[in-house]
Amino acid sequence: MPRAGIAALQEERILELVPYVYERSALVRKKWEEAGVKPSDINSLADFTERVPFITKDDIREFRDRAQDPFGGLLCTRYSDATTVFSTSGTTGDATLYAHAWNRWHPFWAATARDLWEIGVRPGDYVLGSGFKMRGPLYHADQMCGAIPVLVNTGIGGWATALDAIRRYRPVYGQLTGLALAELDHLSRTNDMRELFSSFKGAAFAGEPLGARARRQLEDWGVEVYVWTSAGDVAGAWECRQHDGCHAWEDCVLLEAVDPAGSAQAADGELGELVATSLDNPVTPMVRFRSDDIIRMTRQPCPCGRTHARFWPVGRKGDETIVAGRSFVPMDIWRALEQIPETATALFQLVRPARKIDELKIRVGYDPETTTSVPDLRDRVSEAITAAVGVPPVLELLPEPELLTRGRGGKLSRVVRA
Amino acid sequence: MSLASTTAAAAAVAAAVARPGQWAIGRYDVAGELVYFEVSWDDWERDVAWARAVLADHGIGTDSGLVIVGGMPESPWFDPFETAARELGAPYSIGEIYAFEAFRTDLYTRRLPITMIFGIDRTVAEGLGDELAAVVARVPVTVARPDAVGLLSAAGAKPFIVTRLGPAIAVECPHRSGAHLNSAEWTLAERGGELFISTAGPRAYQISQAALGLRGTLTDGACGCGRAGQRVTITE
Repeated sequence: MPRAGIAALQEERILELVPYVYERSALVRKKWEEAGVKPSDINSLADFTERVPFITKDDIREFRDRAQDPFGGLLCTRYSDATTVFSTSGTTGDATLYAHAWNRWHPFWAATARDLWEIGVRPGDYVLGSGFKMRGPLYHADQMCGAIPVLVNTGIGGWATALDAIRRYRPVYGQLTGLALAELDHLSRTNDMRELFSSFKGAAFAGEPLGARARRQLEDWGVEVYVWTSAGDVAGAWECRQHDGCHAWEDCVLLEAVDPAGSAQAADGELGELVATSLDNPVTPMVRFRSDDIIRMTRQPCPCGRTHARFWPVGRKGDETIVAGRSFVPMDIWRALEQIPETATALFQLVRPARKIDELKIRVGYDPETTTSVPDLRDRVSEAITAAVGVPPVLELLPEPELLTRGRGGKLSRVVRA
Repeated sequence: MSLASTTAAAAAVAAAVARPGQWAIGRYDVAGELVYFEVSWDDWERDVAWARAVLADHGIGTDSGLVIVGGMPESPWFDPFETAARELGAPYSIGEIYAFEAFRTDLYTRRLPITMIFGIDRTVAEGLGDELAAVVARVPVTVARPDAVGLLSAAGAKPFIVTRLGPAIAVECPHRSGAHLNSAEWTLAERGGELFISTAGPRAYQISQAALGLRGTLTDGACGCGRAGQRVTITE
């Protein structure tokens, strides 16, 4: 669809959404009244992005706690009108709820079917089921493509037997997470991963950034990896075969990149905070939701032929940490740990009670099978992190399996308070 | 309303896709041996119909809310109950099966008008820690795996039983006389306390007298709920 067509479709849906949410969403009405905005003020897409106030996760939590409303004022229907209620990962506080109403296919995963088709999933193909279900039936996307999900344990601790399913069914696609890659890294010592993954047309990776070493490893195994991420908890955004940014489906979500410290729209390709508005969810629609995700976004056509916006995740707003006057981001620690064989899976947590800290405390996972001396490892990790950040760390070294138990939803929070 | 029209359009496209007969491949293990089984779309539809009747017996309807505790690889057993909840008009949430995900089961019961927890196992019960008693006190009906019954009872619940039996599943009705098997689809046998399963219905996966690696007792005949057929009590 040409850009003009996408904009026209979005405007149509936004103009339907505006009176709908104002009448039904208590949080939206509160925010708009505070800002002096009425639905009659919004007569175009431009009006919407210029005048409608933002909503933050803190707004939702504050409304939830004050009004004792589990949905934080976002619910536009009765609870009984919802089909499913799921929750965010809860990595930055008490998880927030979101709901959908649906008949046959879950809306979040229905849009994902387009992305699987792009990867090459076709009717009759076997695909490896994903590891986690807290966001609902991901296999709906497989089934919408006519594929057959092989529902075995690909969550934590399941990959040794998942390889048996790969040998047996020769799936064309599977979902990976950082925690899965840590397991596969160990299994690669006793398995021919290139042969195992030779049936794959592609594998998806989500949940956290894909480290450079992990990407190289997947390439060595012959796996074409498609990174995907969340577009503000409203929809998924997946890489296409060009692997040059994650495409959002703009008939599901209105995406904006705005100044992280203000409200101005970021120029095409410049850094901005991802702001999302639901265009396909009448139950708990997000309206100009500030996601805290820092992205670069472009609406330039992709060489794959798609005209929907692409974005490149850069990090989380507030991930920048200042220790002893020096600034760094979690990726700096990630790269340092990847260089050391025993910590190459880069499983770590920065323990940070505040953004500015006096002491650089880091919890690092190590491979107990290949670690012969923890004191020696401690010295090398300390040296690598000091070189990367400029400040010597206070390290807590844990065997990887022990650190993994602190994960949630297929990912390990890289920045924690304790 | 166009606010849900993308999903509707995607569903229309999906309806035109040539679909194989298989809904999914599932897997269970018997004493460490991995056993794969196929579920057809026809199997799944009959499983959903049975699950709908089971949940309705427990009073699930439009005034209900469920937390279904089941992991992704358990979908061949639990998706029919999720789909049944949807068809009965009861919103549901998913509680994952990892201890570190137990917080979701707590979260949903704390924030939503949940009337049933379905499928809670020992891992999640332990993961709830000190919150377990508060969680079960909030929810009128708990349907639990056998390994969680002790913990839940100690926490003040009177759980009904749901148990996976190889490729099948059995659920206790409100009459508490053993977990009902869908007798149109499966048959159990017990020899020396060991349980064996055979296919009874027109399923894609056909087996005969396959060992389950489980011990239990069987009851046959009419139940107070009016349902005939086998009921099972897992003893180990």
